[in-house]
Amino acid sequence: MRKITFTIPLLFCLLFIGGLGNAFAQALDISSGGAPTITGSLGGSVTGSSSVLNDLVVTINFGEISPKNTNSIVKVVVPVAVRSNQQYKVQATVTGSTNANAQALQRTDIGFGVNNFRAMGSNSRVCTNSSHIFSSPFSNDPASNVSINAAGRATYPSTLNNAVSATTILSGPRLSNGNNTRQTDDGYIFDAIFAITPQFYAAGVTSATLTLTISAGPAAPC
Amino acid sequence: MFNLIKLAAIAAFITALFIVAANAQSTTGTVSMSATVSKFVEINSGGAVTLSGNSGGGVTTDGTLNNPLAVVVNLGELGPSNVNSFVTASVPLKIRSNAAYVLSMSATVTSTGSTANKITSADVGFGLGTVSRTGVGVNTAGVDTNATSGDPTLVANGSVNAGSGRYVYSAGLTNLGAFSSSTTALNGAFIMNAVPRSNANGLTVPAIFAVKPQFYENGTTTVVATFTVTAP
Repeated sequence: MRKITFTIPLLFCLLFIGGLGNAFAQALDISSGGAPTITGSLGGSVTGSSSVLNDLVVTINFGEISPKNTNSIVKVVVPVAVRSNQQYKVQATVTGSTNANAQALQRTDIGFGVNNFRAMGSNSRVCTNSSHIFSSPFSNDPASNVSINAAGRATYPSTLNNAVSATTILSGPRLSNGNNTRQTDDGYIFDAIFAITPQFYAAGVTSATLTLTISAGPAAPC
Repeated sequence: MFNLIKLAAIAAFITALFIVAANAQSTTGTVSMSATVSKFVEINSGGAVTLSGNSGGGVTTDGTLNNPLAVVVNLGELGPSNVNSFVTASVPLKIRSNAAYVLSMSATVTSTGSTANKITSADVGFGLGTVSRTGVGVNTAGVDTNATSGDPTLVANGSVNAGSGRYVYSAGLTNLGAFSSSTTALNGAFIMNAVPRSNANGLTVPAIFAVKPQFYENGTTTVVATFTVTAP
């Protein structure tokens, strides 16, 4: 009787370990892609893990963005790692950053783009039948594509306002080889770039949160 | 045999937990952002100084558009040998802000004379001219309040005193005597919409200084006017 009592949990654990393989076979993962960086800020900062094994939890303080900041632009680059063993898509959704005063910082004033897709290492899956695609209009470095509209305000090819609802920014075929446990070499990294041009905004403090979500994507044979 | 099975079960369970922890995955990541906009004001030169009615003298250090305001003007001869009715210096100011602003001025006037007939602060007329909010990126709907009486050479802003015969400026903020301490000369709504600092537009207003040539006690006079803009 006692033998049976301990054999059952043993079998359960073995089945559980085995089951992990199947669970991870459908894995979709998003994590830090490395240390984020900030340039052009006055009193700003950015925090996030430099390890690709850690979750993506980044906090950006753009600092002062009135004309007190005499730099032409405040730019933040956030590396994002993605892993999957199936076709995938990455969606972005923004919350916050709304101001009733039209002269205050708006979502349209925060440039947001993605670029620099690169393999993490030897276990990055190389697919030849489909490409990894940055969705329009996000494939750009907003800091390098600032223009001035008719009202004199700085604009970008894509901004946080383009991600008010869940919006696909990247999709493609399988990303990872192996059993898809989170490793340092088993996926791809891209840069999420945020940019604000210091301007005569109405005074105040503004905050927003961008959530990146990876999920099963459209058909993209590997 | 039983102990072996028991140990294997424990080991398997711990291993399972370890694997779960080591391979923690997430389908979401977050990027939290914040930014601060402080009140910002600045005053610069609105361009070249205009000097008129002078006899001798000239603009020693002229204003340069959009550069820090630091002009030096020699008003020349202010005695009766100058037959013009006024010596006038018009100094363009450019103000920019992202918030309601207040332009204040304080002035000191020192003369080498020793009598009541020397030039005093009350003999130097002052006023702000027409306020202009024009150009892309400027809050053209903003309202400004000019606390001065405008051009000090206007008839309404001065006259010859019937008793002393001396030309005196009207009561109010018409002369530097009213600015011995920092005094508000102009205030108004925010000036700039959300545009970059590289946008060169703004609010411009001429600061007009005037002296009527009279039989002042001979000597030299130095006037220093300091403009300060704040966003209370």
